[in-house]
Amino acid sequence: MTAADATVAPGAALAIPPRPRTWPRAVAIGAALVAVTVATTIPAIGGVEIDLGAIARNWTNGLDRIGQMLTPDWSILPRTWQPLLETLEMALVGAAISAVLAVPLSLWAARPTNPNRVTRRAVRFVLNVVRAVPDLVYATVLVAMVGVGTLPGIITLILFDVGIVVKLVSEAIDSADAAYMEAGRAAGGNQTQINRVTALPQSWPAIASQVLYSLELNVRISAILGLVGAGGIGRLIDEMRGFYRYDALGTIVLEILVVVIAIEIASNLLRKRLR
Amino acid sequence: MNDTAATRRPEAGDHASSASGPWPVTLDNVTVRYPNGVVALKDVSLSIGAGEMVAVVGLSGSGKSTMIRTINGLVQPTQGSVTVGPHAMTALRGAALRRARGDIGMIFQSFNLADRTSVYRNAMVGRFSHTPTWRTLLGIATAEDRDIVMRALDSVGMLEKVWGRAGALSGGQKQRVAIARALAQEPAVMLADEPVASLDPPTAHAVMADLSDINADRGLTVLVNLHLMDLARQYTTRMIGLRAGEVVYDGPAASATDADFEQIYGRPVQQRDRLGEK
Ligand SMILES: Nc1ncnc2c1ncn2[C@@H]1O[C@H](COP(=O)(O)OP(=O)(O)OP(=O)(O)O)[C@@H](O)[C@H]1O
Ligand SMILES: [Mg+2]
Repeated sequence: MTAADATVAPGAALAIPPRPRTWPRAVAIGAALVAVTVATTIPAIGGVEIDLGAIARNWTNGLDRIGQMLTPDWSILPRTWQPLLETLEMALVGAAISAVLAVPLSLWAARPTNPNRVTRRAVRFVLNVVRAVPDLVYATVLVAMVGVGTLPGIITLILFDVGIVVKLVSEAIDSADAAYMEAGRAAGGNQTQINRVTALPQSWPAIASQVLYSLELNVRISAILGLVGAGGIGRLIDEMRGFYRYDALGTIVLEILVVVIAIEIASNLLRKRLR
Repeated sequence: MNDTAATRRPEAGDHASSASGPWPVTLDNVTVRYPNGVVALKDVSLSIGAGEMVAVVGLSGSGKSTMIRTINGLVQPTQGSVTVGPHAMTALRGAALRRARGDIGMIFQSFNLADRTSVYRNAMVGRFSHTPTWRTLLGIATAEDRDIVMRALDSVGMLEKVWGRAGALSGGQKQRVAIARALAQEPAVMLADEPVASLDPPTAHAVMADLSDINADRGLTVLVNLHLMDLARQYTTRMIGLRAGEVVYDGPAASATDADFEQIYGRPVQQRDRLGEK
């Protein structure tokens, strides 16, 4: 009754400012998006050709294979353990090595921890390039360079992880309030000292969280790196596909699904504790 | 050990300042114009004697922080020069400037601690200018540095919390750790930028008393920015009033009248200009 009594009596008009009309803009933006999307599928103007007819012609074929995959052949399971373990090892080693590399690189790529514009831009530029190259391209090139096996796979994962971890961590450092830096500067410290004693412990949660995230992604990526000869369970996928063993493929897909979900749950739990 | 400080109570941590005794601070025609065109200090000349305890008073935006920052070179004046003891601050760059800053302690309104690391490591920041970078990188402190840091924490009553996380402390405790960090530098001059503005009145009085002990017992020259007139009167001997970047008052703090404050503030004294007694 106190607050209500203080306000206007019922019936008296409030001076509500007119609500700005936003829907014409929303409609215009929506229409533009639809138009661009449609245009990308018109081959006459350089769009991609989407042959919906292919689905109609091949649907029995597709259903057949899906049916096979849905009746997994469990006898393949023993043969998957070793490559699956290899995939997990690649993911873990890749994430660990990239974490070590990402710590100094993140500090060099963020403005508060590296006020030198030239070196900061250089680090960022190199990492943008590293991130721009698709992981399968790295794997293919590296397999050609160092040979078939887990090594090209691990190097691919390191490049991929460093790219994303450094980007996400340095952005976190950029946006964090870094008043403690000023105290270090006032005490006569140089940037290296300030970074080591204050910025690094302040950034640990961001670093750990992004490294765990990269570990999740690694399991997913390393599952397909074997397709180009870079080790792991992808090698087995490629083999089974070659023999049209869709029932065995179904088993492997289910297996990867379980592992990915388990790792994601574990990493989510860990990340929550970091807050 | 050097014993140039005039009065020193034995219980106040019996370690000497690395700098030789308290130092005078001199500003000669200092003008600071920020890149955005704001002139924060206009032709300020001041001479602060060795071992003085000075309050710098003024409204928000009057240039108090800017003045304190030009003294340790965090802000470079566009004109004029600053001298702190033997250091011609305005002429120094790079390693020489960092060494000079090492002799000048600074305390901040928002404490500026690294919250996620320990009280110990925060206080170690005070040893930066005396520590080679490789030692800091490897995290190996000398026994002497460790001792200095522990004594500094003990002198502000925070030794008990030395291994605790800085972020877990109360505001008053954080400011004490920040004071210990500055004391670990073994400075000759102590600067404080609104050190009690984020604290409740009893804690504010306690921190001001700590600063006044630092001045009396260790014999440091202390410059403290305040916006509350009663704190200035109670804890400092000399008061400098800033208004729009110019010195409009310079005299004894205790005898400063409300009329003097009205002149500094450019408006009548209000209730919020006072903290209240302890
Ligand atoms: N880095 C900066 N860049 C541009 N202008 C600044 C900067 N720092 C301060 N100023 C301006 O300089 C003037 C003086 O600021 P200063 O921070 O020295 O005042 P202050 O007396 O400490 O105020 P407060 O009591 O609010 O801390 C203000 O007008 C402020 O906006
Ligand atoms: Mg200020």
